[in-house]
Amino acid sequence: MYRKQVRRRRAVLVALIVVSLVLLSSHFSEAESGPLHTIQRGVSAALSPIGEGAERVLKPARDLVNWFDETFDARGENEQLRKEVADLRAEVAEARDAVGDNAEFEKLLKLDRGAALGGYDPVTARVIGRSPTVWFSTVTVDQGSSSGIERNDPVINADGLVGRIGDVTAGTAKVELITDPDNAVSAEVLPTADPEDAVARALSSENPTGIVAPVAGDPDDLLLDFLDEQEPIEENQILITAGWSNGTVSSAYPPGIPVGRVVETEAGEQEEFQRIHVSPFADLRDIEHVQVLTGGPDRPGVPG
Amino acid sequence: MIVTRRIGIRIALIVLVTVILQVSFFSYLWILGATPNIVPVVVVSLGLLGGGVVGAVCGFATGFLLDSLLLQTLGVSSLVLLSIGYLAGRYREGVEITSWLIPPLLAGGFTLLGAAGFAAVQLMLGVDAAVSVVFLREIVVQGLLAVLLAMAIYPLLRRILAPALIDYAPSRRLLVPGLRRSGRRRRRGGRSRSAAKDGHGSGPVRRRRRLPARRRPVAGGAP
Repeated sequence: MYRKQVRRRRAVLVALIVVSLVLLSSHFSEAESGPLHTIQRGVSAALSPIGEGAERVLKPARDLVNWFDETFDARGENEQLRKEVADLRAEVAEARDAVGDNAEFEKLLKLDRGAALGGYDPVTARVIGRSPTVWFSTVTVDQGSSSGIERNDPVINADGLVGRIGDVTAGTAKVELITDPDNAVSAEVLPTADPEDAVARALSSENPTGIVAPVAGDPDDLLLDFLDEQEPIEENQILITAGWSNGTVSSAYPPGIPVGRVVETEAGEQEEFQRIHVSPFADLRDIEHVQVLTGGPDRPGVPG
Repeated sequence: MIVTRRIGIRIALIVLVTVILQVSFFSYLWILGATPNIVPVVVVSLGLLGGGVVGAVCGFATGFLLDSLLLQTLGVSSLVLLSIGYLAGRYREGVEITSWLIPPLLAGGFTLLGAAGFAAVQLMLGVDAAVSVVFLREIVVQGLLAVLLAMAIYPLLRRILAPALIDYAPSRRLLVPGLRRSGRRRRRGGRSRSAAKDGHGSGPVRRRRRLPARRRPVAGGAP
């Protein structure tokens, strides 16, 4: 009797492990329209209304818990902010002179978001779920293919680039954040605050560009690697999407969307390169609403 | 654990509610630099209450639901969670739980193991990005948070699944003989409702009066 129980237990365990491995390998190898993906989308579509309801109901409790954590953090930040305020006062005086030149620079640097994103039809969506592990930096939003959302559509919020659509059902979509290990963004580093340098660089289109990749496990850090050691990159310089394309392959992101700010530079693994650590503008831990940029111009090599 | 249809439904609801709560509530929280994860805590608790097979099946189902809801790679969470559910269940089958601290500590340990296993599977599948050591901090903090969460979750699940647990018996039932045979519900203090209403009682109370004085139970509150 006992042996029979042991055999049954082992059989269940082995069967479940085999099913998991089959799911894993099949999910990787099959096409997006395959049966496993279809089942997965079906389960997701069936459960998403419950998740959406729970997300709304539990929001006050969530905000309360996060308030305690933020208050705890704020104490430590208080002193640092006081120092920053003093520094910024001095900078404000200098910046006033530069305000007049700002509009001209924006045009030169193609930062006018209205023009850059003019061909897109933004769809506003609410975040209704998020992954609990650092290995999948994804969120689920409450709009899907029925709202015109397709795979690889760029996603932004008021602060800047958030990510792109990774998968979509009729009523929901998965957003792969820019901190997801599967994501990478072609970006350019805007010039320093020196006006003359900025104009010269913008006109000659020689802004340093590269691929911004996430650092798996650290949602506050992005890495711009393989940048020429000679490029003078400084703290607080701004990165925007470059919208890179070679005619056959393109970045999923249109040019001109703010990505983040340089926080640190260090020597790369190879001496001739430097690595730039970038802090994303968008607070990816606390996003509630996003805009999905649907439609827009065709980008060669980007599957829709 | 004796898994009847009713208990099966309760377990399925526990799994569903766990996944929904995780995705829509706990994943948004940020405590000491990590996101609390109740999924491994619930799977370990179910394994500790139900044994290896229940733990493995619940772990698989929870992982499948989680991956499906978040449109993640199917199979990764299932594989990790079924492993920790099974190990927790096997521990329970081999070792008696003698202290209330053991389930939370086991939940913390198995959460650490699960997070490490998840990282290992991801690295084996290939991660294109650089890997930060910060994720080690997240794993450790998640383990510590799991200990705290399990202090609430394990007793709650034990209460929900009480009818199926062979070793579950509240202390007051053990102290009052004849209670189960009487078939009457008793108020706190040991008196049946009818006894309280009549003022002198019937059934079990009368039975106790026939007992010799030295065998009369201490607890019971008979008038």
